[in-house]
Amino acid sequence: MTDERDPKVSRRYRELGAEDPPAGLDAGILAASRRAVETRLAPLVAPTGRRRWYFPVAAAAIITLAVAVTVHVERQQPDAESITPPPPSAPESRTDALEAKKDSAPQAELRKAKPAKPPATPQPLSRAADAVQERGSADAQPESRVRSAAQAPARLLGQVAKAESPEAALERIAELRRQGKHDEADKALAEFRRRYPDYRIAKEMLKKVERQR
Amino acid sequence: MEAPDEQLMLAYRDGNAAAFETLYLRHRGRLFRFVLRSVKSRATAEELFQEIWMRVIEARERYAPQARFTTWLYTIAHHRMVDHWRRRGLSLVELDEQDPPGDSPDPARQLEAREALARFAQALEALPVAQREAFLLHEEAGLSIAEIAAATGSNAEAAKSRLRYAVAKLKAAVEDD
Repeated sequence: MTDERDPKVSRRYRELGAEDPPAGLDAGILAASRRAVETRLAPLVAPTGRRRWYFPVAAAAIITLAVAVTVHVERQQPDAESITPPPPSAPESRTDALEAKKDSAPQAELRKAKPAKPPATPQPLSRAADAVQERGSADAQPESRVRSAAQAPARLLGQVAKAESPEAALERIAELRRQGKHDEADKALAEFRRRYPDYRIAKEMLKKVERQR
Repeated sequence: MEAPDEQLMLAYRDGNAAAFETLYLRHRGRLFRFVLRSVKSRATAEELFQEIWMRVIEARERYAPQARFTTWLYTIAHHRMVDHWRRRGLSLVELDEQDPPGDSPDPARQLEAREALARFAQALEALPVAQREAFLLHEEAGLSIAEIAAATGSNAEAAKSRLRYAVAKLKAAVEDD
């Protein structure tokens, strides 16, 4: 640093005195500096105020969602006309046993489609559910569609699962039965019973969807 | 060991009001005298002094210690002084070339001309604004030539020249005693 000071000039300058700002001015400036810091903190306070709105808005959103889901579920319920009194339990249990027996063939196909999985004890309904889940995965991964031939039963189950109503699903099963695709029909019927365990199939429809001996 | 000015200003920027108070108390006297001896009117000096500090407070969010805090402070002071002189009808060229209006020797002061201190004060007041500013920044604020140039937006040669002219004139006033 180049010092351009002249000693005499500097000394005389110091003799001019050391005036200071008045105390009132000091106080005003320091108060302003503190206010500035406090106002800087204001944004930290503001979210507290905004948070007051979060809860009502969140509650309203939850209520709206709950109402929407309830209405949607009610629309998915089967019509009262199509619900018939429950048939005697014996025939139904016999039908289930028959379905379990018939499921063995599609299970073999499913195992072919998923060779990595070790063969398990035959559990028709749970395996069918697995097949439905596999169908969902196949939709998310286009490359897996290459194996569509091996996954035909799973696709069928997926179609049943995606049916708009139980009646439509039963009609589809009946159509499969008419076309002689009994294995697929059995599989679809088993999935139907898994998805709609409380649904009572009318006698006439039951004749159409069950395999006739 | 006292905290450096830059550290205090950063602390204030981050919300530490006590850091500003320390900084203010450290610089208030020199800055006030710089302003007071630039404008001579105490009321005007107090007004400008307050405005400079308010600008410091307002600019705290943008503060970055790229130079000494003192340089930054007196840069703000310089800009405020330029605004002041402009309002009084002076251009930047006139700041360097002419004495500000109203600087003609006060009759009362002429009567006290024999007093050395008064002569010196008169000589200081009589300096062109830019020269007086350079002198005060060097003598009162302790800025170097480069820092004066930075604070006043000029180059080092101009700052040095102004300072030398100012010191020479004041020296002449002192030697006239």
